[in-house]
Amino acid sequence: MSADTISVPFDVYRYQPGKDSAARYQRYTLDLVPHTPVLTALLQIRAETDPSLGLRYSCRSAICGSCAMQINSKSRLACETQVGPEVARHGRIVVEPMRNQPVLRDLIVDQSPFWREYNKIEPHLKLDPRRPMPAGKVTVMTPAQVDRFKETPRCIACAACYSACPAAEADPGFPGPMALAKLYRFAVDPRDTAHQERLVRIQPNGLWLCLRCHLCTEACPKDVRPSERIRDLKEMAIAAQGATEMGSRHAVGFKENLKGAGQLNEMKLVRATSGLTGMLGQLGQGIRIYRKKPEIMKRPRKIEGMDELEKIYAALDPPPKEGP
Amino acid sequence: MKIAYYPGCVAQESAKELDMATRWVCRALGIELVEFPNFSCCGSGFIDEANEVLNIAINARNLAIAERAGLDVLTICSTCQGMLTLAKVRMQDPTVKARVDGALKPIGIEYKGTAQVKHLLRVLTEDIGLPAVKAKVRRPLHGMKVGAFYGCHLLRPADEMGSESAEEPRSFEDLLDAIGATPVDYRGRVMCCGFPIQFVKPSTASAIAGRQILDARAHGADAMATPCPLCHLSLDAYQNKASKEVHAPLNMPIFHLPQVVALALGASPEELGLSRHLVRTDGALAKVHSSAPA
Repeated sequence: MSADTISVPFDVYRYQPGKDSAARYQRYTLDLVPHTPVLTALLQIRAETDPSLGLRYSCRSAICGSCAMQINSKSRLACETQVGPEVARHGRIVVEPMRNQPVLRDLIVDQSPFWREYNKIEPHLKLDPRRPMPAGKVTVMTPAQVDRFKETPRCIACAACYSACPAAEADPGFPGPMALAKLYRFAVDPRDTAHQERLVRIQPNGLWLCLRCHLCTEACPKDVRPSERIRDLKEMAIAAQGATEMGSRHAVGFKENLKGAGQLNEMKLVRATSGLTGMLGQLGQGIRIYRKKPEIMKRPRKIEGMDELEKIYAALDPPPKEGP
Repeated sequence: MKIAYYPGCVAQESAKELDMATRWVCRALGIELVEFPNFSCCGSGFIDEANEVLNIAINARNLAIAERAGLDVLTICSTCQGMLTLAKVRMQDPTVKARVDGALKPIGIEYKGTAQVKHLLRVLTEDIGLPAVKAKVRRPLHGMKVGAFYGCHLLRPADEMGSESAEEPRSFEDLLDAIGATPVDYRGRVMCCGFPIQFVKPSTASAIAGRQILDARAHGADAMATPCPLCHLSLDAYQNKASKEVHAPLNMPIFHLPQVVALALGASPEELGLSRHLVRTDGALAKVHSSAPA
């Protein structure tokens, strides 16, 4: 080992479905300078030690989005993750394929679930056939219109967000952060004529399963901030359609809830979200909790200065739109 | 130190035991809690989804109350911490501030942005300091392996919360270490508890909670501890549902952060409302070596 290199132990996930009975981790130890990218190290392993190692990559410059994988449990691009800080923190580098997509071989996953959700949101401009774009001409947008996209055009479709998303993991019906951020991009595009339709279509089993855990925003190598755009979509969906879904009823119900006492009335909220029938379905669990925590039935104390809160509502929350 | 106490709704209702433990710890460590009966709910992330500007204004009002008294704000809920902090960050946008001020100024409220918002975890590790906490330990939790469960809003979005690394936080583990417990390292510690969709899709919410509990257990945890009463509801009050979703009996005791601290500082289980939990905690307490040196 030369003076400026460190010894880096890699534990690399190895698995070939149909051939291996179970996944295993293979240890490779390399002497590397600390700023070596994980991808460079993996390619060195493949070139010098083990040509059978399966991985996907292309540009090596954090542009193509091909080399997303889990490095010490975090979804990130291997080409821009340096070995030094990883070893300093964890003593080794565990390299695994992305989550929420089936493994094809070693670090290569089948991205179909990710692309299926992307295609479902119809990621293209829907134009008004009565007003076609002028042929051969550029449609100019104002800087203010472009600003509304926020960071979404930066997306390189690497799927790191999809891999990090706990809702996508627990519920295959959830579109995932990238598809929703892309949907936002079209839902604010002034040239697109299907804003309302897009917002209505995405709601059932889609938008409202987002946990706002912000793990997607943390994982994104391009700072697209999907969780914040999903929040925007939720407010846009309520404005467009009213509180028609379980999730939007809960959000609007919560907002209305505070008008009573300035503090949350738990029972009233459950009723606003689930309705009486829904409440009956949760009765058993409710009683279980009530026996230990009888305060769930208590009406909250009214805060002092409730009149201030009422005036804030009056100024900033015009009456909700009814129905679609 | 003296600080404005923002208990949040849940600690005054179903998680009353969190309020009890917070008061116990603050008394023991000389933190004077100043109460404000005019604090409102933070909106819990839901009002933010329905009307972002309204949510900012509600929390700017809360912050202005503490500012007028010249105090920083103590939170004991990650969601309250997140919402109050996000309001501060978003108020730096002049357009947002103008709209919010337009609603606050006519009712005589001025928001300056001078109050800091600090979760109890930060106050204990940064203001009081671990050596001072350690000095007060009377019954170190030696032998008890605890999985710190940070959840989301204490850490993320990292740009706004930014107190420590959102990917590799250490403060909770350092605190557990200071009170004699053995922190357990597991991936789920920075994951989501599932609570925000408990009403929208209970099965998915509980499946997510179940995964984190299984992960903590696979890494040897006798118990988990959380800085958030919503995480506590998801992990404790709904643990029977989580167990069903992951097809495994879980039986994992879940502590609120100040409960584990208070236990080490000498509080009794009764003073901390441990009997109010749905999953019994005595199994974890029995792991503490009674003969351990103080």
